[in-house]
Amino acid sequence: MSKHLLNVYLVIVLLSPLTVHAQEFKLILKEHLFYPGEIVVPTNKKLKLLIENQDSTPEEFDSFDLNREKVLYPGRVSVIYIGPLSPGRYEFFGEFSPNTARGVVIVEEQDNADH
Amino acid sequence: MKLTVLQLACVGSLLAISPAVKADGIVVDKVYHPYVMPFEREFEWRLVSHQTDSGNILAQRVGLGGAFNDTMSLEGYVVGERDDNGDFGLSAYELELRWQLVEQGRLWADWGALFELEKQHDQDAYEFTTGFLWEKEFGKTSLTMNAFLVYEWGADIENEWESEYRAQYRYRYRSEFQPALEVYVGEDFVGVGPGFIGLHRFSPQRQLKWEAGFITEISQSEKNHSFRLALEFEF
Repeated sequence: MSKHLLNVYLVIVLLSPLTVHAQEFKLILKEHLFYPGEIVVPTNKKLKLLIENQDSTPEEFDSFDLNREKVLYPGRVSVIYIGPLSPGRYEFFGEFSPNTARGVVIVEEQDNADH
Repeated sequence: MKLTVLQLACVGSLLAISPAVKADGIVVDKVYHPYVMPFEREFEWRLVSHQTDSGNILAQRVGLGGAFNDTMSLEGYVVGERDDNGDFGLSAYELELRWQLVEQGRLWADWGALFELEKQHDQDAYEFTTGFLWEKEFGKTSLTMNAFLVYEWGADIENEWESEYRAQYRYRYRSEFQPALEVYVGEDFVGVGPGFIGLHRFSPQRQLKWEAGFITEISQSEKNHSFRLALEFEF
């Protein structure tokens, strides 16, 4: 049984390098606020958030809903890959400014999504 | 492309060696995730209580470490064990390097690697472990798998290769409570059981993570249960 389990693991591992096309969405962090504070994205797509931190201090993007944590270095554009997501609201915030740096990813059908 | 070559080389090594050599120590420990957070420092305490027909072995370890760049973290551990005679004492020292190989979510699945060097206290016995950390999201659930190759050597130990396999399938219900099913495979050992992990944030960059699991050996009829508990304070 253990040999079979290991073989299943190894097959899955070999499939892992497959890349998936991701649609891009841009956000800005300025004075500890995310702009836009809400983005509408399509369902069941791989997405690429490009977040430019225009503040002079680092921030940490955190979202249990999206299952992501990422340091946003000052003066740099950070990339966060998310999805595919089911319809719904997915909140995120900045760990260092949790009261101001807040946002939400709203997942809707393709016709209503931002481009 | 470099990653693919690295993966093929390491997977080939695992395929070549793994069928013949399985770990003969306590396999139940921890399922590692393939992620490293820059700036992260942590203090960790782990306990594994291993109960068989012949008695109980209790192992505890404390560790301190942190990330030293965007993708790598280093942690040192001191390990203590209580044997069948009830004697608890220092048993080993360990150094562990985790390496996040790809950005989370960029590929079909996420990858990391682990390198671990352990020396037994007061013995000429060493153990080097290396292997892959793998994770894939399926909606609100995540499947994490570890495959390790272990080499033991020294004057006080028989030189040998071993392999270990660990898996955890968890439902990300709430940050404080994420139920999971865990699988551990080693030499003459296949263990399965429930577990859970959780997290509580006290303040920005100060959080406590907990993990627990109760693993039952299923490949043999003798009693063989393991309870594992881990607490990590990140600061």
